[in-house]
Amino acid sequence: MGERRRIKVLLAKLGLDVHNRGVLTVAKGLSSAGMEVVYIGNALPPEILDVAIQEGADVVGVSCLSGAHLTLGSSLMDLAREKGLVGDGVFLIGGVFPPQDVGKLRDLGFDAVFLPGTTVEEIVRTIDSLVGKGTASLNQEEG
Amino acid sequence: MSIRAKTTREILKERISSQQRRPLYSPEALEEIQRGFDGWFSSVVGERDRRSWIKVPLTVLGSDIPRELLYTPLSNPDLDYLRDLGYSGSEPFTRGIHANMYRGRKFTMRQLTGFGSPEDTNERIKFMLKHGATGLNILFDIPTIQMYDSDDPMAAGQVGMSGVCVDSVEDMELIFKDIPLDEITISIVSHYPSNTAILFSMFLVLAEERGIPWERLRGSVQNDTTMEELVRSGSEYIPPRDCFRIQCDNIEFIKTHVPRWNYITLNGYNLREFGTSSITEMAVALSNGIETLEDLTSRGYGVDIIADRLAFFWSVGNDFFEEVARLRAVRRLWYKIMKYRFGAQNPRAMWMRCHVQTSGVSLFQQEPLNNIIRAAYHALAAVLGGTQSLNVDSYDEAYSVPTEEAALLSLRTQQIIQEETGITDVVDPLGGSFYVEALTNGIEERILQEIEEIEKEGGYVAAIESGMLHKKIAAYFAEQQKRLERGEIKVVAYNVYKSDKKLPDIDVFRYPQGVEERQRARLEKLRLTRDNQRVEETLTALRDACKRRENILPYCVECARARCTEGEMFKTFKEAYGLWRPHGFW
Repeated sequence: MGERRRIKVLLAKLGLDVHNRGVLTVAKGLSSAGMEVVYIGNALPPEILDVAIQEGADVVGVSCLSGAHLTLGSSLMDLAREKGLVGDGVFLIGGVFPPQDVGKLRDLGFDAVFLPGTTVEEIVRTIDSLVGKGTASLNQEEG
Repeated sequence: MSIRAKTTREILKERISSQQRRPLYSPEALEEIQRGFDGWFSSVVGERDRRSWIKVPLTVLGSDIPRELLYTPLSNPDLDYLRDLGYSGSEPFTRGIHANMYRGRKFTMRQLTGFGSPEDTNERIKFMLKHGATGLNILFDIPTIQMYDSDDPMAAGQVGMSGVCVDSVEDMELIFKDIPLDEITISIVSHYPSNTAILFSMFLVLAEERGIPWERLRGSVQNDTTMEELVRSGSEYIPPRDCFRIQCDNIEFIKTHVPRWNYITLNGYNLREFGTSSITEMAVALSNGIETLEDLTSRGYGVDIIADRLAFFWSVGNDFFEEVARLRAVRRLWYKIMKYRFGAQNPRAMWMRCHVQTSGVSLFQQEPLNNIIRAAYHALAAVLGGTQSLNVDSYDEAYSVPTEEAALLSLRTQQIIQEETGITDVVDPLGGSFYVEALTNGIEERILQEIEEIEKEGGYVAAIESGMLHKKIAAYFAEQQKRLERGEIKVVAYNVYKSDKKLPDIDVFRYPQGVEERQRARLEKLRLTRDNQRVEETLTALRDACKRRENILPYCVECARARCTEGEMFKTFKEAYGLWRPHGFW
């Protein structure tokens, strides 16, 4: 375990959403848990995926509290699928969603969906188990 | 900005401590109370309670102020009734800014409205007015708040969400269709100085085109640098110093041309909800107020004239007595700052007038109906603290924008407090409580200390530029999160009395469909039909005014008249001022 490469997580605010306390808290928590965190602030799906590939991230986590989780979430996952990234990397989304949207977000391809009240520890555990399942990082050369 | 010779705290200390005090309790009485207390403490109070006499309540967004088990006159031995409390409507305004408070004027029930297209919002406004709302708070969608047009690639998938979309004055026209602009008070929740300059200009042009003189308009804008430069997550920021200048430009222009309009709402709410203690919330807002008045007095305005419509916006949350005491404390402190630091003489310029919104961060997804109870306590604290207007958050806000039913329930919460409980019949009913007065004193001093911290950093704008405030906030909310996760801050049904029940599929609000397409089509038509040469000219004039550091508002109004869009105007700001990169939070 100790020799394993540090898990690299790319975090972003999805679109123009103004609320960043949650994602900043997660960024801090994941880096305290030993992960390498790159937080790029507000970005649209193409930029998020480009940076994820450049950085060779294992995990892409997006935060959305603006109500645009389904519209922007689906464009993110469609683009990820187009680029052949789904299956290689882990995709996470967190924010304020109606509970009935959790299933929809999973159907879009997100590996995990986090609602308000989720603890940082739960997110760490989820990432550990998802990355441990043999997914590779998004930098294909490295994969 | 130069570092001031003296901090506000030092100035107040110097000017107030020389005043003679007339304590309410005689030394003899206090001595007797002390003797009685000592005897009671050692013989009646149990050993465990003696050891843990002081307790620090841990609450969501709390401020870690220690509390004693019991408060007595000994907690505030030199209480001077007239100097510290006085009468409502009189200095030092601790008990309220109006003599008769809610007997004279009930708190305004101001619920947030705004979603989807301008037409959708117009309908919701009419619904709220029909059910007795006495003011309107218009919320804008994310692209409008961030100052992008609905057809900007950055806006894709977000148009009409969390608020209503506005691209040009034509959307204002639709939002306020059939609404008598001069008969109700309208709060334009424009958040930032930049979009206040843009959106309020559009509102003014709307009034002008309807033939309503600007002098008759009543309402408020938010216009707060804290929101634009500190709280907002965005990809582009103009430099704090320029943002702050626009804030002051807005005030100067509105004061001159729209005299009944409240030109700034110093916003503590969003800062606190972002993650600060209740003390920092107030210290930052007051520091902004102080620096704003310095700027405007240097432009030649007297404080008695320029400060008479300043308003504050606070978050009221869980720690009930702290919240009541906080509103009383900040009222007295603002009075002292105005009177002793700025030399105000007009009582209206000494008033800490405020709007309260109940705390959204204190609401949880688990068992959402519990939020109704939380918000009702928050609302009660706000009324006991003497707020001028109130918004009660809806129980489903931890899921989405409120449904019509939930929005109505929030309004009902206010109406029940106002009409059924009898609370509004007596002014400042908690005044004189040993506990509340001690807490009020303690909070006032803590706010003043944090203002001093900011002043030692070079002032409000400097504390944003340097990243000091960003780091302070981040440290607070990281700690808060840990306390919640460790269960030190208790939240019913979340980390105590947890229920196994799955999250209910509550009836949530769904955004209307097709808003983005319709809005893009409307914009396309606008861009084709307007006088584009005039658009170019007015934008160029605006850019030049920005560069000359001249008041930009007259130029913004010209742009609005020419049907410039919000995105075009913000782009002009960015070109003129350049972009700023905020410091990191960690």
